[in-house]
This record gives sequence, structure tokens and C-alpha cells, in this order.
Amino acid sequence: MISVQNITKSFKNLKAIKSLTLEIDEGEIYGLLGSNGAGKSTTINILLGFLKPDSGNASIKGIDTSSNYHEARKYIGYIPENVNLYPYLTGLENLDYFCKLTGKNYGHNKLEEFLNKCGLDNDSHHRRTETYSKGMRQKVGIAIALAKEAKVYLLDEPASGLDPLASNELSGLLRHLSSQGAAILMASHDIFRVRETCNRIGIINNGELVKEMDTSEVSTKELENIYIEYMQN
Amino acid sequence: MINIILNEWKMLVRNRVFIYLTIFFVLSLSLVVWMGINQNSAQQEYRNKAQRHVRTQWDNLEAMNPHRAAHYGSYAFKPNNLLNSMDGGINDITGNVIQLEGHVQNEIVYSEASQSLSISKFGKLKSSLLLQYVIPLFLIFLAYGSISNEKETQRLKLLIFQGIPMTRLVFAKSLSIWIYGLSLLLATVIIQSMLISSDPEVFRRLTLLVFSYGSYYYIITSLATYFSARLKNNTSALSAILATWILWTIFLPKIWGNAVEKIHPLPSRMAFKAAMKEERSKGIDGHNPSDKRREKLKNKYLTEYKVDSLQQLPINFDGIVMQEDEDYGNLVWDKHFGSNYTILQKQKGLYQVSGLLNPFASLQSASMGFCGTDMIHHLDFLKKAEDYRRVLIKALNDKHAYGGSKTGDWGWTVDSTFFRSVQGFSYKSPKINDQINHYLIDILFLLWWGLLVTFMIKLNTNKKIIL
Repeated sequence: MISVQNITKSFKNLKAIKSLTLEIDEGEIYGLLGSNGAGKSTTINILLGFLKPDSGNASIKGIDTSSNYHEARKYIGYIPENVNLYPYLTGLENLDYFCKLTGKNYGHNKLEEFLNKCGLDNDSHHRRTETYSKGMRQKVGIAIALAKEAKVYLLDEPASGLDPLASNELSGLLRHLSSQGAAILMASHDIFRVRETCNRIGIINNGELVKEMDTSEVSTKELENIYIEYMQN
Repeated sequence: MINIILNEWKMLVRNRVFIYLTIFFVLSLSLVVWMGINQNSAQQEYRNKAQRHVRTQWDNLEAMNPHRAAHYGSYAFKPNNLLNSMDGGINDITGNVIQLEGHVQNEIVYSEASQSLSISKFGKLKSSLLLQYVIPLFLIFLAYGSISNEKETQRLKLLIFQGIPMTRLVFAKSLSIWIYGLSLLLATVIIQSMLISSDPEVFRRLTLLVFSYGSYYYIITSLATYFSARLKNNTSALSAILATWILWTIFLPKIWGNAVEKIHPLPSRMAFKAAMKEERSKGIDGHNPSDKRREKLKNKYLTEYKVDSLQQLPINFDGIVMQEDEDYGNLVWDKHFGSNYTILQKQKGLYQVSGLLNPFASLQSASMGFCGTDMIHHLDFLKKAEDYRRVLIKALNDKHAYGGSKTGDWGWTVDSTFFRSVQGFSYKSPKINDQINHYLIDILFLLWWGLLVTFMIKLNTNKKIIL
């Protein structure tokens, strides 16, 4: 579903990505672990079609994200670190607006259903999002992707700044999405959250994928040790 | 596109400061329009009254020699165009009364600025001041952050991700703010047209004004949104658009205006008068019997009437001489004033060319022109007043020559019946359909700028600016 084949990307003299290869299938949650500047966001930006790799190719459902990004984006739900909604709109209005931009005109009940699915309580649907916590905004962000009927979810540091309860809810939501057949790439430096949420983990350092493993193979402590080891190297 | 526009409007409507500002603008514009119309009507009434008074005095002149009446003369009061209440143009600094008399073309006098220190310093508060300076500035403040805010909050990626092309997003944001500016403009025009006559000429002029201001608002909002999309942050976008606005409204008009005066200089008033006097002295003088040309004219009439002396003529030769002098004076005036007229037109034309670089210059020129308060309309009044002066003086000279008196009979008089028979001065502002050619260049430059910013957005707002 998500395929990154041998991509490289440089910014002036800095090599941000070096021969990165990733494959993420349907129903899989892949955690891309790395420190700040490791190349996580660059990888996501290439998959979103905002950046063009210098070499190699990235595709979503077989659609090249550089040459055919309009088509590829139809299948992608993107949740940035901070889901900044329109503060003067309610959660429901925000969802309605973003849906209309994709040409989808859902009824009121359907929109509420999306928000409920993402765990946003009914009372909050009609409150302006200026009063929302970060976690609540994340949920609306996921509802937007859900309403888009995305098959692929790209999340850039989604748990950053969330309280433990909200993080836990996010993990549950992502697992639910993957059980429905979605392929999820989650870039993060939160070892614990990645270990809790993902099926597979890749460690990226200086633009290079240095280690890949199944979550079932390692405990959180072992993962932390591996991560630190690679970061120190 | 419509969803983005509606969302932008929702944002504006849910912002209390915006609502208060909009109420303030609508009230200010309504007040200014109402005050302008009242002021205009009062001024017009005053001038009509003065014009009627002058005519009554003329109609009731005591029996006198027609040439004495020519020196008594009359006055032409420049009427205010109905849309003077919107844009005063040059009306405040040009005079509004001209004395019409024999032998001489007087200057128009009594400008409002000469009688009011505040007007000469700051100009009058008209709706054009709000429409040309305040509202565009407000539109700039609404537009400069429209895209950069989305970038700074990372919402831009989400928006683009929903499948909205960047260009469409920029256009939609720009249009939503433009529609707001247009609403304020239309409110002004509707109030204006409700309070003044429903003359189709006024309607035509208002339509052209809406087009001109609407185009300028499109240019300013599109450019502000373009900077917002292209530049890295809000500060850069605001700085760039404000610098452009200052350049357009303050620096370029002054710099270009000074350059125009240097390229096509008008003679000084002293030089103009001296040249007129010099040329006029070559002509015949009705009061100077030793003049050579007078002798030539005398011989012509003596031959024509087959008599030996002026006293034997059945007509009053003094009237003939005075009209001949008048005709010569008119030729001299036409030559010198015509030359000034040409220079003024060249100056205006060259100033209008600055619209290529500065759409504000085109807007100002179009606004004054469509409100009937620019140099073109002023010169038209001066020409019509001079035409009337010529008709009036010729009627008096002809009466003097052919009314039944004899040469040298300066005591001969006509009564008020004759004076009443001479038509009074009445002036109608030219129709815009006849004058539109003067403003085509302004319209073209506004269109050119509109297209330019449209292409700038179309060609330069792509996905690269998102990150």
C-alpha cells in the first residue's frame, strides 16, 4: 500500500534521506522512529507529494507521489503533529468544511458519526475548536481523514504533546483503523507510543533506515536500548 | 471555491472586531456621502442663487450704452457635478466664478481652498478619500495573512491535502476579501444614488466608478494574497504589500507628477499674460483711433457704404471696431490658451501613462473623470464660459454698431428690453459617453493590472510554497 523504493533527498549540501526503502501493507501500522532531523518528516513530505526525491520513487497504492500526487492524495489521510483547525468553527463545522473541500457533502448525522468514531464526545461537536485540547483536535483531524475514506494514513509526530489518556485513545483509534484495512505510517520519537501502537518499527538515523523489526520481537525496554545504541552510533 | 469563500466569510462574521469595523465603515461612508450631498446641494443652491441674482441684475440694467454694459459684464458660476459629493477632484483648488466682460478673458476665481485653510491643507472629507485610501488599507490588513496564516499554522498542508489546488485556494481567499470591499463600495454607491437624482447619466458614471474601484480592490486584494502565499511569514507579506501601497499612493504620484511638469511645463502666469499682452498690442484697440488697422477697417467700411466720413455711415463704426478688436483678441486667446490647453492635456495624458506602473494613478484619474471633477471637465467649463462671453460681447457690440446709433455717439443707450433679450449663461456638464475616450487608458491599465496579478497568482503559487 505504501511503498518507498531506494529514495534519496538532499537539501543543498545536506543529505536528508539516503537510499530509504519501506513497504507498508494493508492493516499494518509502521512506526518510523528517529530523532529530530533524522529524515522522518522529509519521508512523509515525499509521500505527501510536497517534495520530490532526487532518486528512487515513492508510491501510494502503486501511484507515484511525485508525478501523480493529485491522484495519490485521494487515498491519503494526513495528520500533522498539530492539527490546527479553524478556531471560529465548531468541530462539526470544521469536519464539514474539510469534507466539502474534497467534494463530499455529508449530512449532519454522518458527520457526527465520524466524530463519534474518533472518540470525540457529543457535547464537543458543537463547541468552537478554539476551546479544544490538542487531543480533541487530533481526533477531528483523524475524522477528517476518515471521512475522506483514506486507505493510507500518514501521521507526523501525532502523540507529541498529548496527555497519556489522549495518547492511549489515539493508539486505540489507529489500531481500529488498521483492523479496517488501513495502512498507517507513524513518524515519531516516542518509543513507548510506537511500541504500543505499531506492528512494525523502523529506526531512521541521518536519513538512513538502520534497523527494522516487528513489535512482537521486542519489549519497550529492549526497543529503547536498540534506539539509543543506534542514535549513539 | 465557493466553500472556501463561505468559510472566509464565516471567519469574518464571527469576528467581533470585524463586525464593529464594518459597522464603522458603513456608518462613516453613509455619513460622508450624506454630508457630501448636502454640502454639494447647498453649494449648488448658493451658486444658482448667485447666477439668478446676476441675471436679475442684468435684466434690470438701467438704460445704458451697450459697450458700457460690456464692461459691466456678467458672471458664470461653475455648477457642481452631482458626483462632486463623491470625489471633489480638482474642484476644491480651482475657482468657481468667472467674470465675463469685454476686451478681456478673466481667470476663474474663488476656489474653496483659497477660502479655507483646512481644505487647502487636508482636502475635503469625501467618500473618495475613504474609498481610495482607507478601505484598500483595510483590505490589505484582511488579506496579508490569508495564506501565510495557513502556512504558519500548518493548516495549508491539510487544505491542499483535501485536493484544493494552491492557485484556487489563493484566488478564493482573495475573492472573499474582494467581495467584502465590493460590498462597501456598492453600499456607498447605492446610498449615493438613493440620495441624488435618478438621472441615467449619473447611473452611467456610477457604473464606471464601480468598475474602476472594483478593479482596484481586486488588484490590491489579489496582490496582498499573492504576497501572503509567496512570502515566508505574515511580517514579510505585510511589509511587502504596505511598501507597495505606500509607493503607489504617496511616492509614485508625487515623483511622476513632478516629472510630468518638467517634461511638459506650463508657462508661468506672468509669461502667459505678457505674451498675450504683446500679441494683443499688435491688434487694433477700440479706444485708440491712431491704430493702423483701425484705419484700414475704416477705409473698408467707407468704401462699402460709399461715404466720405465716419459720421456719414448709417452704422456706428465704434461697434465694428470693438468687435474686430474682440475677434482679434479671441484669436490671441485661442492661440495662447489653446497652447496651455494642449500642454494640460499632454500633462494629463503622461500622468495617465503612470498607470502602467501604478494602478492607483489610473483609479484616481478615472474617479475624478467619472465624477466630472477633473481637469478635462474643468477645461470644458472654461471653454463654454468663454464661448458664452463671446456671444454676449458680440451681441452688445452688434447692438452698438447696428442698433441705430452713429459713430462717436457714446451717449446712445439701449434699455432693459434689449438686455433681457440676450440669453443668459447656462452650463451642462458633458456627457460621459462623449468624454469616455479620455479615460480609456485608465480603464485599460486597471484591466492590465488585474490580469497581471491574476497571472502572477496562476503562475507563481504552486506546491513549492507550501513547505
